[in-house]
Amino acid sequence: MWLTAVYYDGRQARPHPVTLCVEGDKLLLQGRDIVRREELNGLKIPPPLGSTPRLILFADGGRCEVADRQGFAEMLQDAGNSAVAGMENSWWYALAALLLTLSLLAVVYLFGLPYAARVVADRVPVYLLERMDNQFFASLDQTLLMPSKLAEERRHTLQDGLRRLVLPPGEDRPAHIEFRGSPTLGANAFALPGGSVLVLDDLVNLASNDQEILAVLAHEMGHVHEKHALRQMLQASVVGLAMAWYIGDVSSLLAVAPTVLLQTRYSRDFERRADAFAAELLRANGIPVSRLADILEKLEAAHQTAAPKQPVESVEALDYLSSHPNTEERIKRLRGQ
Amino acid sequence: MTEYQSRQLQFSGSGGEYFRIWIVNVCLSIVTLGVYSAWAKVKRNQYFYRHTTLAGASFDYHGDPKAILKGRIVAFLLFACYTLVGKFDQVAGSAILLVIIVAMPWLLMRSLRFRLHNTSYRGLRFAFHGSTGAAYFNFLLLPVLSALTLGLLWPLAQQRMARYTRENSTYGSEFFKFFAGSGAYYRIYFMTIFIGVLVFAGLMTSVMLLGSKELIPVEADQLVAMSVLVASIGTYLALFLLAYPYVAARLQNLVWNNTQLGPHGFQAQLRAREMLGIMFGNVLLTLLTLGLYKPFADIRLARYRIEHVALLPQGSIDDFVAGLQTNSSAAGEEMAEMFDFDIAL
Repeated sequence: MWLTAVYYDGRQARPHPVTLCVEGDKLLLQGRDIVRREELNGLKIPPPLGSTPRLILFADGGRCEVADRQGFAEMLQDAGNSAVAGMENSWWYALAALLLTLSLLAVVYLFGLPYAARVVADRVPVYLLERMDNQFFASLDQTLLMPSKLAEERRHTLQDGLRRLVLPPGEDRPAHIEFRGSPTLGANAFALPGGSVLVLDDLVNLASNDQEILAVLAHEMGHVHEKHALRQMLQASVVGLAMAWYIGDVSSLLAVAPTVLLQTRYSRDFERRADAFAAELLRANGIPVSRLADILEKLEAAHQTAAPKQPVESVEALDYLSSHPNTEERIKRLRGQ
Repeated sequence: MTEYQSRQLQFSGSGGEYFRIWIVNVCLSIVTLGVYSAWAKVKRNQYFYRHTTLAGASFDYHGDPKAILKGRIVAFLLFACYTLVGKFDQVAGSAILLVIIVAMPWLLMRSLRFRLHNTSYRGLRFAFHGSTGAAYFNFLLLPVLSALTLGLLWPLAQQRMARYTRENSTYGSEFFKFFAGSGAYYRIYFMTIFIGVLVFAGLMTSVMLLGSKELIPVEADQLVAMSVLVASIGTYLALFLLAYPYVAARLQNLVWNNTQLGPHGFQAQLRAREMLGIMFGNVLLTLLTLGLYKPFADIRLARYRIEHVALLPQGSIDDFVAGLQTNSSAAGEEMAEMFDFDIAL
């Protein structure tokens, strides 16, 4: 059996029309002014790749291009073929690969990433976390955050209230709280990655009694206890990296939207756990769990009327702060307890 | 002297065929925790190169997946370090970024070497001979200067980068030559700015006209502010959408039309309008299909860009002879890619 091919000697760009045939374990190449007889074992035959021409590469840089892929496969008994090349040619394997890819991505996103984030979060040294919080205040004080306008005594009362709380076993001290004012963020409290809790003036003013504030602080302590902010940040980094890598060459701007969407699921889960932690803590201290529901309702109402306008540049800086999705659902659950 | 026929580059890849290769490779890359991605990258390049033919012969890619894997690991560690450390400590993060920036010209130079050395046509390799010093001048000093002059020097910097990459490239033993001056680069950017000014003026006039005839509900004293606002947003959007395809098409034309390989010239005839249609459609369909259209998009753009370039031979193209072989590592190429810093060749 003969096969027509084009041969290049690797020293000059001139094409040599040749014919190929196999004789035993040797390949015979014949053209007008060239004859080569080579051991098949000494040749490199790359696996087929789609409908690209088949190739035979000689050790000395010579190269044969064969357009007739069928004839090539028959003559060389599919030399160089690989399992992967077979899969790449089949729509069924493509479909299977697609389904497997999607399910693997789902597993990584739902279980792998949260697990890895928890493992890493538990191993980040405390001094690094504290430095992160300091850095956070350093970059946002004077821009998004203002000094607190609350009276000194008021702050002390709240801190005392927090200190007097009976903590669940395993928790040695209450969260460190920082008071700030912020017209942009309104009534809110945030658990930072390093374990500090940021309390905004408007929240304190919005509460009808100190028990409501303690309820919010208990909720934030739940976030601190489970390192939610840090885990969220780690997860967001990985999701963001993967997105940027994949969509990067389309437009980095477009990568932001899906990233934000992918992250909300985590925060919803975290809110539920922080609520559970707060409910337990409040019950242990004889404070009705409904206090948290009360203040949540007020917060929801305050945020709806104020329609918080977050400046665009602050969004990224704040993306690891706890957002509070599905408040209604949370209120219902807390009332049910 | 005989007239030789111009030879169009051809691209025979197809979206459906590439999709199957792509998805199998994505899947294997995930299953192997990213290790296979180096092999996938070689496959991808081979697919595109081998489907690109000129005068009946195809190009080929010979990159060693193991070298690419090494580069990927280094790049991944650097990038992960930068993103994570930056969150904990901005000073350390900036230090890593600085290291990356300082290393970038060297990495780019290595990347060019690796890519060209591993590209072949008709059995002969391409190669890159640019020096490290010139790489620092062209890829670091000039961009820094153009940033300091608020972009005024950017077209010049771009011309120097293109000249550096072209004039140090060889096919076989033959060097490429590059003739475009910086004036041509400035013209492209002036045109872009000019289009922006036209869009701004047009939008502003129409809002003013519509407002003064009370066709849109605006208070008289707010009309000017309103029209400036609309015109600014409109211009920003228009440039955001138009400028990239326009500049990409014009630059590719400029670069190829002023490149020679030995006695042979090139001709590129891309149209900004068609480029815009392809890029816009690609982004839209990729988003709508949650990324599954991406392989089709890659093929579509590659076909357009490749098939609008032609070789204008001045003599036989069989006469090229091999040059000296050089070796190079993959580290540069992968890092340049990881940081999304690519130079149009």
